[in-house]
Amino acid sequence: MSQAITAAPEITLGRTDYGLILQQVSFEYAGVRILEDVHLAIPAGQFVCLLGPSGCGKTTLLRLIAGLETPAAGAITSHGESVTGPSLERGVVFQDYSLFPWMSLRENVSLAIAKARPAMTQAERQIQAEEYLQLVGLQDAWRKYPGELSGGMQQRGAIARTLALGSPVLLMDEPFGALDPVNRVKLQDLLLAIWSGSERKKTVVFVTHDVEEAIYLGDRIIMLGAAPGRIIDDITVDFPRPRARHALLDSREFQALRGRVAAKFHEDLIRRLEAETAIHGVAEGI
Amino acid sequence: MNVSESKVIPVSAPLPAKAAARVAPGTQPATALVLRILRGREGWLFLAGLLLLWQLASTHLHLSSKYLFPTPWVTLRALWVSLPELLKGTVSSFIILVPAYLLAVFAGIAWGLLVGTTPALHRMFAAFARLASPVPPTVYIPYAIALLPTFRTAAGFVVFIGVFWPVFLNTTSGAAALPQRYRDNARILGLKKGEYLWRIVFPAALPHIFSGMNVGLVFSFIMLTVAELFGASAGLGRFVQYYADYADYPRMVAGILYTGLVVLLAIELLERLKKRALFWVK
Repeated sequence: MSQAITAAPEITLGRTDYGLILQQVSFEYAGVRILEDVHLAIPAGQFVCLLGPSGCGKTTLLRLIAGLETPAAGAITSHGESVTGPSLERGVVFQDYSLFPWMSLRENVSLAIAKARPAMTQAERQIQAEEYLQLVGLQDAWRKYPGELSGGMQQRGAIARTLALGSPVLLMDEPFGALDPVNRVKLQDLLLAIWSGSERKKTVVFVTHDVEEAIYLGDRIIMLGAAPGRIIDDITVDFPRPRARHALLDSREFQALRGRVAAKFHEDLIRRLEAETAIHGVAEGI
Repeated sequence: MNVSESKVIPVSAPLPAKAAARVAPGTQPATALVLRILRGREGWLFLAGLLLLWQLASTHLHLSSKYLFPTPWVTLRALWVSLPELLKGTVSSFIILVPAYLLAVFAGIAWGLLVGTTPALHRMFAAFARLASPVPPTVYIPYAIALLPTFRTAAGFVVFIGVFWPVFLNTTSGAAALPQRYRDNARILGLKKGEYLWRIVFPAALPHIFSGMNVGLVFSFIMLTVAELFGASAGLGRFVQYYADYADYPRMVAGILYTGLVVLLAIELLERLKKRALFWVK
């Protein structure tokens, strides 16, 4: 289903041209297979959306890439290096509560800077922290604590902190999933502006279950099916950037893409149901 | 303390809508007013009632000798007269209590954070903690006095034990209950163990730690005053014991009241510290 991309990456490009390479990655939890045979190569600077229904293991896949979990089988490489644990090379934004509530916004960002650039003095760190907060539109709130901020502002802060790490890989786990529609749209645009505005584009893996969000943001959509989680489709989204949201949403191409995604999920659902009936059929025979 | 407020409001003054709505139809406005003034001050009312009961019991009951059960007024005078001695006793008690308390809090937090975040340490220490922590520290007092060179070190030791366990146990459970998301974020940021303990686990466990410190504070006063009953030459517990021995019950009761007041103040102080430290808890 995904021809060129799932071919062995070493052949088409040098290993280091890839931001992330996953080879036959699988994961089990309590004896249950969560992810099976995930094979994926992401070129550096690509914006990839992991799209799938809940329970398909997309968050688990992100945690594996982050190094927060260890795969049961297979290998993950990030910019040519094997992933064995979390690293400053891969910043993560979680869905919510990423910031430490006992630190002000500036302290939260400063902490990341202190880890990424230990040589800096505290004064320099604080100035830089304020710059990162300015980048996400929080320049006036640096004194505030996460508990005093709205969900949208907290996520802006979390993005600022992750950017402050300066990681070439940015992993985002449904970062806008808990936000209201208006804030969600604002933050999507902010993220795209920051991503495309940087000189060396970051490799982004963005987990979502929202089809429109995936199409609007991504260069590429990796669709995951459930039980066990595995890649069921690999779609290139080649709408030119910058993307105009309304024109894009109304376009025929967008509708076609959404149709393809919906059909694929439907197909996976049917397959799963049939598998269940088959098991039942056997069980009834006994 | 709120007398002026009640004087200012004339009886005929219209009640605010909220208060008026609560008054049942047919209730006299004067009764309603009294009820309204008393709202939120039930605690003081109870204390006043208790004081009155004390007064009546000490003057009318003739339970036993009036020396054994002094009136509030006699007690107050005894308190006033003994104030210099009580203050000196407080200083003497605090010289033991404060360092022992602080040391125990520090040790309990540090060790609790380590044990709570290091499974191997937890396995090593858990059995011992389960065995040793429930022992009432008062039982160590005679031995501590016999074993240690001075009364102060002995009393300090017992206070330390009394404070250490609640602080340690609460810190450990607070550290062990650290939400996964904080752990993940700390790992993503690449925090080293020391930083992780100090900047993440410690603040996250603070609500637990404060409840341990609160229990420990009450314990520390119990330990100290009990220890002072055994062998002190000064201090709050010693004061009470001394006047009980001489059957000066007004002073003894005054000593009890005064001790209660000191403990109350100490708890209040800790409560304020907690409010400041936990400003971020919603």
